[in-house]
Amino acid sequence: MIGFLRLAIFGVLGAAVAYWALLIYTRSTTRERLEKDWARAHPGEDDSPARDAYIEAGLAGYERSLRRKVLWLVLVLPAVVVGVLIYLVNYA
Amino acid sequence: MKYVKWTLIAVIALIVGGFLHYTLPQHDIVRVVNTYQERQDLSDWTRIFWSQPDDQSGTLVNRDVQFISTIQTNGKPMVYRNEDTGWRWPPYFKFDTASLQTEADDLKSSSEAPKWAVITHYGWRNELLSIFPNAVGIKPVAGPDVTIIPWVNIILLTLLLVIVLTIRAMLRQFKERSIDPVLEDVSEAWDEVEERADAAGDRARGTWGRFTGWLGTWKGKPRG
Repeated sequence: MIGFLRLAIFGVLGAAVAYWALLIYTRSTTRERLEKDWARAHPGEDDSPARDAYIEAGLAGYERSLRRKVLWLVLVLPAVVVGVLIYLVNYA
Repeated sequence: MKYVKWTLIAVIALIVGGFLHYTLPQHDIVRVVNTYQERQDLSDWTRIFWSQPDDQSGTLVNRDVQFISTIQTNGKPMVYRNEDTGWRWPPYFKFDTASLQTEADDLKSSSEAPKWAVITHYGWRNELLSIFPNAVGIKPVAGPDVTIIPWVNIILLTLLLVIVLTIRAMLRQFKERSIDPVLEDVSEAWDEVEERADAAGDRARGTWGRFTGWLGTWKGKPRG
């Protein structure tokens, strides 16, 4: 029982760290892509309020995207994999 | 320095490779000849090569362990231990030791009428250290020369590669977006400091400095 609790706690912590790191990473790549798109469409205008608004809108769109929602799998999949493994090793 | 670097890389590769070789599942085609249970002393450093099937077994200095003795296709013996891994490392989540022992019993055969089986296991056999690979599963197969595709290893190693590449991409992104801009600021600030210091130095030289500079020109030194 203690063994299961230890695995569950460290597993959740590990998955949370991975989720958080992936979230920061994908946000950062999205922002970079938006900045580059803007620079290509509006050369020279790299300090205008319109640019900030464009990037904010793009990031808000990313928050609603499927790619952002798929990240939840990082938290869910490990538990599913453990369940499948227990079944395959002990019962199949 | 080059040798130090390559030695370090070799040592790290050896440790990572050894760890994976110990932990990842492998398949052996064998003929089970016997199963037995034997009390094992677990109080020296080779304890790390035995499982800890439940929490109380962590403090025991000895306990009974089940074994499966087999003959491999090349005629050499191989003995497996049969222990629960429980919720611990390595993450096989094996709880069916007793069932596995029964299945192994059922597959016992003689060299005259061999019944071949594939044993999935992890770990190493070493006679000097008296350590045994842990059997995880056993399944009868048609003959001694069936091919087994190690799907689990293919998937796990691919996943490991993807994780390593993702972490590398994350670190690069972090460096590009968060560290490099700061370093640029620092280096710009440093250039400014240097310029100011030069200007201050020029001012501080004063009359005496200009005089010695003029004296220097007699010896062919540029005035600066």
